[in-house]
Formats: sequence, C-alpha cells, structure tokens
Amino acid sequence: MNPITASRRHFEDLSVGEITTLGSTTVTKEMIVTFAREFDPFPFHLDEEAAKKSLLGGLASSGWQTAALTLRMLGDRFLNTIASMGGLGFSELKWKKPVMVGDTISGTATISALRRSRSHPERGIVTIDIAIGNQRGEPVMTMRLANLIELRDPSAPMPLEAAE
Amino acid sequence: MTRWFEDITLDEAFPLGSHTFTEAEIIRFAQMYDPQYFHIDPEAAKHSQFGGLVASGWHTVSIGHRHMVDALFAEEARLRGLGKEPGVSGPSPGVNRMDFKAPVRPGDTITYTLVVTGKRPSNSIPGWGLLFNTLEATNQRGELVYHAELVGFSKLRDYKMPLRLRVLMALTRLPVLGKVLANRTG
Repeated sequence: MNPITASRRHFEDLSVGEITTLGSTTVTKEMIVTFAREFDPFPFHLDEEAAKKSLLGGLASSGWQTAALTLRMLGDRFLNTIASMGGLGFSELKWKKPVMVGDTISGTATISALRRSRSHPERGIVTIDIAIGNQRGEPVMTMRLANLIELRDPSAPMPLEAAE
Repeated sequence: MTRWFEDITLDEAFPLGSHTFTEAEIIRFAQMYDPQYFHIDPEAAKHSQFGGLVASGWHTVSIGHRHMVDALFAEEARLRGLGKEPGVSGPSPGVNRMDFKAPVRPGDTITYTLVVTGKRPSNSIPGWGLLFNTLEATNQRGELVYHAELVGFSKLRDYKMPLRLRVLMALTRLPVLGKVLANRTG
C-alpha cells in the first residue's frame, strides 16, 4: 500500500457521472503578463495596445495559462483527493473564448469513463471531462483528461469488457 | 508559423531547441499549477510509480510552447533579414491530442520539434488559415516524452475579402444597423 495515497479514494471508489465543482480563479493583468513572459511571450499576451489590435481584442491570458489554472483547480478539488498516479495526456482541448483581465473562471469536472489499464491491470484510468466558463456563464475552455489511478485491490479480476 | 499561410510547406521539420529541467523549476511550476506529491516532494515521490520526482506534463508542454514562440520570432527575424515581409500567426483554437509518453526527471534535456502536417483556409475567420501541427518532445536518450497534435492560425497573404462581406463589415460600423446585424449574425 502506498502510504502517501492510502487514505485517498481509489479506482473502486469512483463512478461514472460523478461531478466535481471546481473553485474559481480571478485572472489579473499581472498573472497574465508573468505567465506570458515565461511561457507564451506573444505581444497579445504582454502588451495591451498590441492585444487590442489582435484577434483577441484585448489583453488575454495564454490558453496554456487557462489550462494550467484549471489544472490547479482540478488538483485542489479532485486529483489530490484520489490516488492519482499521474496524467496520461488529454484530448479535444478547445479554447472557446479568451480569458480577459479581471475575468473569473470556474467550472466542473465530470468522470466520463473508468476502465482498467490493459498494459498494467493493477492500474485504473479515469477520464475527466472539464468545462470552464467565465463570470458571464460563457464557455471558455473544454478538454478531456486521462489520468492513472491506483486500484485498492490490484488482484481483483479484470472485467471482460476492460480486457478488450 | 511566422510565414504567410501560402508559404508554409507541409511535413517540413522545424527544430525548436532544447531545455534542461532542474529540480527547482519542476517544483516551482508544480507548486503553482499541479501540486501532486510526485511533482513537488522528492521524498514522497519515491512511493509513486515514477520512483522519484518528475515534471508535470503541463510544465513540459508549456516549455515546449515557449520554444515554439521563440522559433516563430527567430523565423520572423530571419525573413526580415532576407528583406521579406514575415507572415502573421494568431492564437490557437485548441489541441486535438496530447499524449504523455515518458516522464521528465530533474537533469533531463528535452528537445522539441514541430512539423506542419496539414493546412486549410478557416471557415469562420476570413483571411486566416488553419494549421495542423505535430509537436514532439524527446529526451537525451531519444525517447519520446510527448506527442501533440496542435491547431494554429496563420494569416493569408493573398486574401481578398468577398464584396458581400466587405459591405456587411461597412454596415456594422454604422451604430444602429450594426447592432441589428450583430444580433442577427451573432
């Protein structure tokens, strides 16, 4: 048993359809510029005048920053409450609307699938659908994450459908 | 890319450079965005499947993005040096797939490469084209760290706005009519 994750929820404790309400984050100009300087130094993430002339129409966070802030909200309410073994990746990440200075983002994480790993039957894979919106209720970003999770009982027989 | 949509050749590999990850920066990124024990605590991380501290996949990806942006600026400078007018790249609408293949540990050097695998004019934003890019990151042993399928925007050099659209845009500048049209087309 992993002492770090022993008291957390394991694969067997999760169910498809479970929804976690994420916290919220208000994005400041300083946050946008600090992140952009390190990871996404396009003028439309650094400079208000350049941003006004761009497709974004004003100073907006890097899409990667929106994703990273979402990940933090997911960690606080979900990933650090389960026996997470790390992420496998993500798909269908869509930036639907820019996050502008002063916007507050929040959202939900819904478990859309649960299955045992084919290559490592002692591990489970949880699929999490994320939907993030702003304070006006407009969709900002959606994505689907795949994350590994420990089984409480790794010796449990593999269900037939998971072995396919 | 900072080339005009028309000038972008498919399946050409663009080397984006390398980055060596230190333990301190791995922990600093993870404390802000991904504070799971195997990203922030070297002792606790020994109990994880990784057997030690590893970078958040989102950290590796963010550094990869930084390298892509730097490469775009370098390409822009190169084109200007040749006396050519560089193209314009726009914000990305999203990522189709991102697969984390191998962990990144302190001291690992990750090398990033971008390939444009497809392109087409945008249906929703006139004058811009969509680029379908593959970004791959490998470590110093040549192992694939992640594989990404990204979407980007690039401006068309030779775009001529259709007359119907030009009239519509001129009309939206009139205050009252503009409001009506915005409501109808939005």
